[in-house]
Amino acid sequence: MTEAYLHAIFGLGGGLGAVLRHWIALRLRHDLPIATLFVNVLGSLLLGLWIGVLGGPVEMGEEARRLVFGFCGGFTTFSSFAYQTLDLKRERTLVLAAGNIAFSLALCWGAVVLGMWLTQ
Amino acid sequence: MFLAVFVGGAAGSLLREGLSVPLPSILAVTTTFGINVLACFVLGWLYSIRHRVHAHVLHLGAVGFCGGLSTFSSFVADLAAIASTSPWGAVYVATSEIVFGLAAALLGEAVGRRVHGVKGAR
Repeated sequence: MTEAYLHAIFGLGGGLGAVLRHWIALRLRHDLPIATLFVNVLGSLLLGLWIGVLGGPVEMGEEARRLVFGFCGGFTTFSSFAYQTLDLKRERTLVLAAGNIAFSLALCWGAVVLGMWLTQ
Repeated sequence: MFLAVFVGGAAGSLLREGLSVPLPSILAVTTTFGINVLACFVLGWLYSIRHRVHAHVLHLGAVGFCGGLSTFSSFVADLAAIASTSPWGAVYVATSEIVFGLAAALLGEAVGRRVHGVKGAR
């Protein structure tokens, strides 16, 4: 298994994650950025589950390891979260922007910890 | 459209993997700090010219590349790891990454407007 092949697998995971994120965003249209919140929470839960699985007794292959790490990173997004937070502040209220930050942090942080706890 | 998102997402992910070098711990930031702030800057820039470029450019660059480059899941996983030794440290790191990310997006917008001569508030 060459390193270039493993990078390609990581990139494949990231590309698939981005496509699924966009597909969800198109279906979850709302005037609040709930699609970004949803994918970030889901991706954080998956990453937490995966970290727990990797630390467990079952040996996982390097391919699977990279594919899921690539996917979680491509699926979740920090840049859209930040930009949408700015937009909430400019077009709506500061409270909504602060709420977006608080909800994203709390729910995603909780999701990653929950995932790790479930598969530990 | 989805092809552009896929290509951008794959490219962003590869760059993220390539750039995720461990930073000196004295900086007290997560491994995702640099890439997330960079992605916010690029996204701000792209959005400042979003009425001038083709939709494919936004799909490739904003949705795909910036989304693939930045990550929320690794960010919170790092926070959870930091919190296990220092809860206040994790709060500090979370706050700084978000503040720098928002500032980078604003800066990217301002630079994009200036470089491309976009007039008006937005």
